[in-house]
Amino acid sequence: MLGCRQALIISIKDEHREGRAVDIEALANQYSSKTPEDILRLALESFDNVAISFSGAEDVVLVDMASRIQPDVRVFSLDTGRLHPETYRFLDRVRERYPIRFEALSPDAMAVERLVREKGLFSFYQDGHQECCGIRKVGPLRRRLQSLDAWVTGQRKDQSLATRATIAVVERDAAFSTPEHALVKFNPLANWTAAEVWDYIRSNDVPYNELHERGFVSIGCEPCTRAILPYQQEREGRWWWEDAADKECGLHKANVAVRRR
Amino acid sequence: MHITLVKKIKADGSPCRKCAEVVDRLERSQLLGRIDRVVVADERDPDSEGMQLAGRYNVDWAPFFIVEDDSGGERIYTSFFRFLKEVLGQNPRQEEETTEMMRQNPDLDFL
Repeated sequence: MLGCRQALIISIKDEHREGRAVDIEALANQYSSKTPEDILRLALESFDNVAISFSGAEDVVLVDMASRIQPDVRVFSLDTGRLHPETYRFLDRVRERYPIRFEALSPDAMAVERLVREKGLFSFYQDGHQECCGIRKVGPLRRRLQSLDAWVTGQRKDQSLATRATIAVVERDAAFSTPEHALVKFNPLANWTAAEVWDYIRSNDVPYNELHERGFVSIGCEPCTRAILPYQQEREGRWWWEDAADKECGLHKANVAVRRR
Repeated sequence: MHITLVKKIKADGSPCRKCAEVVDRLERSQLLGRIDRVVVADERDPDSEGMQLAGRYNVDWAPFFIVEDDSGGERIYTSFFRFLKEVLGQNPRQEEETTEMMRQNPDLDFL
């Protein structure tokens, strides 16, 4: 007799193999109060073609959890070329500590060269971070995700009220799915708080990025990341020079009766 | 085929920067002539034609394109570069597409 979880995994595999859409919403509801380990197990056992995105920060807990479930799990990081030396050292420590299949994804060299030739090395301070992040992060990520059926991120609701308050533990990836290629995104830590993540790190002797000892909470590229003070919002350590009011492409709610779905 | 571009005037009366960039890009590529009509969504005026169209098509993003084909079917494009590829047959640079993805998906700030 199969257990509920095994039956569910077989059903997801069948749906996926036969090209039928997996009912992601039902899955998200079913797993909304499960532990991160349960959600990770579901991701790793339901999809053969799945990988973990690791930023070099406290999402290392995913690598630790996943390697206990599937020791040779695939893990990738975006090597933007602008990370802190501490982050590069940390990525290598993680690669050595766990038996994972680790990949560092690099941006398209011609695109980076063109950006630097036209706008210099710090254009994000004038033009906003989107263009540079698009080249150094989204381009290589999109290329990698095209070859996957599912991926796992360390996103948590408590990281940003503005952009993450509603993330589900599993969702259809709206940004990277295409009409020809449905991509599933798992966010096992969605309902965990920063305190729970750090409890796990300490209790399990998980290695962490030394920048955390110097007040860095959210860690990205060196020019775009700074330490924050106690009780500051985590995201105040990223792109702090940008004015939220200038993120201007929305047609604002007061004036549009029905929002895009 | 009939193409309508809806661009935005912000609540403070200034033009939307992204809309200006899109118009400039179309002009530089000599594609502006392919746009049959340009309509303004004025955030100060919910009755402006562009705001009405945004409401009708459930769009909360500017600029956007309404493409009517000869059989009367309509497609809405909020992605400029997808519009460039699928409707105008252009081949935008990857970095143009990824910049737009970042702008349209603020939750990608977790990367």
